[in-house]
Amino acid sequence: MERRKFLKYGCAAAVAMPAASWPWAALAREVESEQDRSELHISIEPVDAEMIDGQIVYMLLFFSEDGKPRPVLRVREGDEIRIEISNNDTAPHGFAIPGIPAATSELIDPGDRREVRFTAPVGGSYLFFDPTKAPLNRILGLHGALIVEPRLGTTPAGSPTPFSRASQTPALQALFDALGTAPRFPGQKWKPGDPAREKIWVFSQTDPTLNARVASGQSVDPASIMSSFLPRYFHINGLSGFDTAVHNGTASEGIEAAEAIMPEGKQGQPTLLRTMNAGLSTHSPHIHGNHVMELSENIANGAIDVRKNILEVDVWRLSPLARKDMLLPFERPPDIPAAKWPPKEEPFPLRYVMHCHTEMSQTAGGGNYPQGLVTHWEMTAPIE
Amino acid sequence: MVIDFKKTGVKGKVTFSTFGCNVFQESPATPDKIRPDVVIERAVHTDGRWNTPDGKRVRYWGFADPLSPIAADRVAPYPSPLIRVRQGQVVHTKLKSKKNAHTIHHHGIEPTTFNDGVGHVSFEVQTEYSYQWQPAHPGTFFYHCHRNTVLHFEMGMFGMLIVDPPEGPGTLYSGGPTYQVERIWVADDVDPRWHIPNEHDAGLCGEDAGLNRFEPKYFLISGVFNNKTMLDSRVAVEAKLGDRILIRLLNASYSILRLTLGVDALLVSVDGRQLGAEPWNSPKLFPAGSRIELTTASRFDLLITPTQRGVFGVKFEFLHWITGKVQADGAGIAQTRIIVK
Ligand SMILES: [Cu+2]
Ligand SMILES: [Cu+2]
Repeated sequence: MERRKFLKYGCAAAVAMPAASWPWAALAREVESEQDRSELHISIEPVDAEMIDGQIVYMLLFFSEDGKPRPVLRVREGDEIRIEISNNDTAPHGFAIPGIPAATSELIDPGDRREVRFTAPVGGSYLFFDPTKAPLNRILGLHGALIVEPRLGTTPAGSPTPFSRASQTPALQALFDALGTAPRFPGQKWKPGDPAREKIWVFSQTDPTLNARVASGQSVDPASIMSSFLPRYFHINGLSGFDTAVHNGTASEGIEAAEAIMPEGKQGQPTLLRTMNAGLSTHSPHIHGNHVMELSENIANGAIDVRKNILEVDVWRLSPLARKDMLLPFERPPDIPAAKWPPKEEPFPLRYVMHCHTEMSQTAGGGNYPQGLVTHWEMTAPIE
Repeated sequence: MVIDFKKTGVKGKVTFSTFGCNVFQESPATPDKIRPDVVIERAVHTDGRWNTPDGKRVRYWGFADPLSPIAADRVAPYPSPLIRVRQGQVVHTKLKSKKNAHTIHHHGIEPTTFNDGVGHVSFEVQTEYSYQWQPAHPGTFFYHCHRNTVLHFEMGMFGMLIVDPPEGPGTLYSGGPTYQVERIWVADDVDPRWHIPNEHDAGLCGEDAGLNRFEPKYFLISGVFNNKTMLDSRVAVEAKLGDRILIRLLNASYSILRLTLGVDALLVSVDGRQLGAEPWNSPKLFPAGSRIELTTASRFDLLITPTQRGVFGVKFEFLHWITGKVQADGAGIAQTRIIVK
């Protein structure tokens, strides 16, 4: 027990996804620069994490080298990547990234370390996790996002996208070319490398009974998990409900963690939502205020499929291990009466929730609505 | 009329408590109000009783329509009465809460925050409020209560919302295809343990109300229990050869809905957005026998143009959100048919 870290998310050093994890330097480089090397070190640690209702739950988490939980790994297409994984737990673990077969590690014994080496694939959103005793270690918390920046992400017309030119479809190019150009989308193009224009939402669920069994040293048959899994906590990047957004300029679990989740911007500032489900239950993320465009999905072998037919939806299905990149266009909420845009009496920001519509996920500890898988986004001002 | 936004989530102090347990509750005027083309009224009812196929009485809640010419819609309808308006009309939906606060969220309609019906970022309606919106897109939407949504939506506080193009019903969108037969299929599943009376605020202040555990026992399509869906005219479709049939499908259940049709269907619109309106999408054909899956709250508009007479089967399967198995040990199925004469 004493070896465990106590984690009240966001307090002091324990802030998920700090701004420093953004590779500003990398993004400023020439598009067609030389191949580079990236060295990343992460560790596996047991923690006692505080849930949104104050309950303490044993979890296993990945940490970055500087001691931050749930690191987001960012690399650049074509770069030679080396990830070293240290196992500071008392059980053996592993590491894998669907869609990147070379990134699979051998079993890592307690106290040991292993490395994986691979060439970063085409641009997009990937999910890394511990595949041992699947799905056990993944749902205990051993998962995280790997983002691959495309080497050449623009469309032939020059509009930036998050996808490599070679994997772009005509539909994707038409959409990103329309941003800032078509009458429907006055304002800006999508802006790569701007954390305000890109959010990563890693969804997960926690069944504390299962975690407690592991913590007490019981052996759990992985094949028995799915039929008995009864999640009581639902997370975005490890946070729930009130903690997932900025309120009155502050955030209960650290401003950086909340800002990393909550989209905020003016009309005409399209924002990418990288949504992933590391858990075991299917989610139905539903967004108010704007429909979103479903840009991509992972296919069976983990590779990224950019859509040939990009639907505009207000709810999308996110099955276990699914990864979908969505575009929140930040367009004028279309059903505000035209004669009253921009609204005069009702002030900005306009605030719209995103919540999972598979409503059991809106709870914490069996109640506490809405302290589950929910956040919101803000439109701070109209274009004019 | 002066609106004190500080008494709402718009300008008030948002805390852990204002998220649910002590949420903003007001009956303000509508900001930026303009003269409506259509006024709709919805009054909360909590008095519905289903007679279930296994002989039980199960309570449900919903919205009644006090202005409806149909008597049943004024009392305790399920699902709540259809809202049907036209693209471009300025609409006021006047909600009358009962003794407890509720809201109306017009799902898929995108108005201002104040008119969006989510309490913790605006307010819940204590007695009365008029939600103002002007639909820009024709299509299939729905509306539901957003207070303790996990419970109130399951309790039945939802209804369909259709936006017709200015031409009115019978045309999908201006310049688009017409249809001669229209059927709304609303799939819902019911866990009777959640329908115990007087639990309006269950779980809101932190007590464990078991709302993370959903084990549906009853399955309904458009208000019809699955033992009657095969023949009931609210579900089964009758058409003439040459008719175009429009199915407006909503998954209002907490399951993944899998629809299998014995006839080809063209997906023409999703979540109130016409496919093909923009160059990045187009209608999608589901050949007969395809598995058409909808996550909770999704809407698919399916256009069916039968090329022969016959009886075509329709199967709805409700799949568990974790195991993916058919709910209730395989009983979570409803069936109906499309008869083409
Ligand atoms: Cu309600
Ligand atoms: Cu909804």
